[in-house]
Amino acid sequence: MKQLFCSLLALALCATQARADDSLSDEAILGTRGGFRIESMRLRFTHFDQEGHGYQSQADRPSPSSPGSEWLQVEQPQLEVVAQQGKFTHRLWVPIDVVSAASPDALDAVSTASRTNEAASFDLSSTYHANPVTDVTLRAAFHLEEPFRSWTLGVAGSRSFADGNTTIAASLNQVFDWLDRFNLFGTRLGRRYRSSTNANLSVTQLLSPTTVGYLGYGVTVQIGELSNTWNAVPLDSGELGLEVLPGLRHRHAFVGRIAQALPWKAVLKGFYRFYVDNWGILAHTLEAQLYQRLGRQFYLRANYRFHVQTAASFFSLSAPAADGALRTADSDLAAFDAQTVGILAGLDLKFVRRLQGLHLDVGYERYFRTNDLRVNIYTCSAGFRF
Amino acid sequence: MKRALLFVALSLSLLPAGCAIVPQNRRGKLADPLLSFDEDPLEAHKKSKFYSTREGAAGGDGAPAGGGCGCQ
Repeated sequence: MKQLFCSLLALALCATQARADDSLSDEAILGTRGGFRIESMRLRFTHFDQEGHGYQSQADRPSPSSPGSEWLQVEQPQLEVVAQQGKFTHRLWVPIDVVSAASPDALDAVSTASRTNEAASFDLSSTYHANPVTDVTLRAAFHLEEPFRSWTLGVAGSRSFADGNTTIAASLNQVFDWLDRFNLFGTRLGRRYRSSTNANLSVTQLLSPTTVGYLGYGVTVQIGELSNTWNAVPLDSGELGLEVLPGLRHRHAFVGRIAQALPWKAVLKGFYRFYVDNWGILAHTLEAQLYQRLGRQFYLRANYRFHVQTAASFFSLSAPAADGALRTADSDLAAFDAQTVGILAGLDLKFVRRLQGLHLDVGYERYFRTNDLRVNIYTCSAGFRF
Repeated sequence: MKRALLFVALSLSLLPAGCAIVPQNRRGKLADPLLSFDEDPLEAHKKSKFYSTREGAAGGDGAPAGGGCGCQ
């Protein structure tokens, strides 16, 4: 009897083992060869609440020599879906911006007929994993906004060397915009065009078993209508004039990053960026992020950013009224210091029912700068890995 | 421009020091996703659009500086 029971138990164990082997077939582990599979989905919602004043704004302006309101609120939902198909990874990304402001576009600055403006982009990229160390990505995007359209095409490649110690990446992007030009009274003056060509080169290097370094350079050349076409400028005649910007801009950005794992389950990241362009703007940006794990699934992030820039050479708060003279009073092109402080809490849960991973985070940031602009930023996100 | 060239020269001089090989079996801590420079792309977009529409010197590092938005 005892032998019969042992035989039955052995048979049952074998059957169980066989079923387990079935579920661990190549297809179960690696997926269907060449098949299309949704890998992950992310949602992020961000709310921006801005207040301040700038001389480019016509909103709530008591006199031409006084700055206008830069009050603004933005609701920004974003959706990203990533799918695998054989050696390809496809990514569809849809960001939306709903802007409520004192003057979100040219017509509203004058008529205040509608103080909201909606913008949406559809961005599709496909990455071909040629081999374990080489990736090639193609990207196409379309941006829709009143009264503005934009198309983007991009190509990027990366290759790892020295057993993955070094990764070199390069990318090239072309953005083509068309937009309507207005005068200060909201009258449409026809269509204008803008082209932005951008090239980037970067090197990521493992520096030690706990340190990663990064160096990057990006150049952007812009030609065409580079103003948003409704910015105001105070003139020396006591009136307001329209912003006049050069039709060409060369922009250079050099970036260095470092990420260091710390012994107490923390990570410190440092970022430095040097920027220079042919409009006379020179800028330095420093940023530090400290991540602290609190348990296996929960982490906190604190971040601080400092940015300082010089003004464009033609920035003026009392510009010559002569026709054709370059002029701007845009507070974004002025000399200022800006700081950002923030905190974020993140949760990564693995193997939740029917999911391989679930990510949740919630964060807050405060941006403030020396020329009267302050922004509160609230964000939350949910990510699902299937 | 001289400062830019100085930055590039300094950066390039650091490269050879960084080429030391870290073997696969010593990369345990490097596997932590928090150590990656590839942050959540949706957060990266939130950040890059926020700064590129408020700071004349933003952008140009990895993505176009300006263009693609009516606010530029």
